[in-house]
Amino acid sequence: MFSQYFGHYLLNKGLVKPEQLADALEYQRSVHLKLGVIAINAGLMTPAQVEQIHNLQKQVDKRFGELAIEKGYINEDQLNTMLNTQKQGHLMLGQALIDRNYFTMEQLKTALENYKKESGMSNRQFNVIVNNDTQEIEKIFLGFGENQMSKAYSDYTTLLIKNIIRFIDDNPTIEINKSKDDVKVSWYARQEILGRLNFNTGIACETDVFVKLASKFAGEELSEPDELAQASVGEFLNLHNGIFLVNMSNNDIELELHPQEVLRDFSLRKSNSQYVISCHLNWGRFDVILG
Amino acid sequence: MSNNLPTILVCDDSLLVRKQMKDCLKECGEFNILEASNGQAGVEAVRLNKPDLVFLDIVMPDKNGIDALNEMKAVKNDIKVVMLSSSGTKTHLKAAMDAGASDFIQKPWEKSQIEHIVKNIR
Repeated sequence: MFSQYFGHYLLNKGLVKPEQLADALEYQRSVHLKLGVIAINAGLMTPAQVEQIHNLQKQVDKRFGELAIEKGYINEDQLNTMLNTQKQGHLMLGQALIDRNYFTMEQLKTALENYKKESGMSNRQFNVIVNNDTQEIEKIFLGFGENQMSKAYSDYTTLLIKNIIRFIDDNPTIEINKSKDDVKVSWYARQEILGRLNFNTGIACETDVFVKLASKFAGEELSEPDELAQASVGEFLNLHNGIFLVNMSNNDIELELHPQEVLRDFSLRKSNSQYVISCHLNWGRFDVILG
Repeated sequence: MSNNLPTILVCDDSLLVRKQMKDCLKECGEFNILEASNGQAGVEAVRLNKPDLVFLDIVMPDKNGIDALNEMKAVKNDIKVVMLSSSGTKTHLKAAMDAGASDFIQKPWEKSQIEHIVKNIR
């Protein structure tokens, strides 16, 4: 699900040519993700070790994982984790770039490391969010010192990723940070959740992304941030929050919603109890504010 | 209404939802379609037009959907009201049923759900 964003990153950095990216994106539909690429991405093996195992496989009839364990590069648990790795978009693209000889293993390793670094995510946070793992997302909030609301926020974030994929775009990249600075935004849709858990939610973005986000959710091309576009972004937030309330209700936590509202030229004050979930799409970025 | 078509009121604070609901209803049949953008306006529309069916949101400014439902029932006891909300919590569901809602649709809706409701109108 991250392939397009990773692809754009490679393109913006001049690491691939547009025609190579187009070819690799087409080719990745049929690509078979190999353990070597997964091992490099997970930081378990170096490109040289992967090449060594590939060469060994030409001499002996053994699987990659078997040989990597024999050489002591990985253990059985790590192999099982690798085998359970889902089809991760950015890795499928990486595999396609290698198969089409646009990248070497070493180049892929460097590009992946820089991509994660520049996305502002640690290796762990990146893999966790790609895999949509609620418990691990909770650890991210706990890591920020969020003790009271970490479970609710991780449930909220996991559902947010699902709803972005369901209603907006199937290639989001998500990063979670604490609110650090006062920020002025062109548009802010907000809605308060009330009850046993009490917190504010919002979507902040600039006008071009606001209109695109509105168009995606409305399912029609909108050209300006008019009343319909405002209703669309507001309704996306309201729909997501409503589904969150239903999930909480199923766990016997009854919550209420205030009506959503959409504001122009809004100043977001930094707050120590507030989080910014940045949603990167290949057409721009919007921030979901939580806290 | 002067014609003999069934009248449906769509009461939701979101312009997008009202637009999409109207588009959906037009695909399902011929109706007089009315709109209201908050609970209070919805109650007034029921008082004035006595619609056959209401699609009613819950989370709205100027009177929420549950309060509006109670008042609509007081105006026209046999009015058919279908709650259409993103927040179908147990509390909302119970409150809506207690107040006499005939159905509850969780957003986003499927066209087949709306078709099923409007085919037996009147």
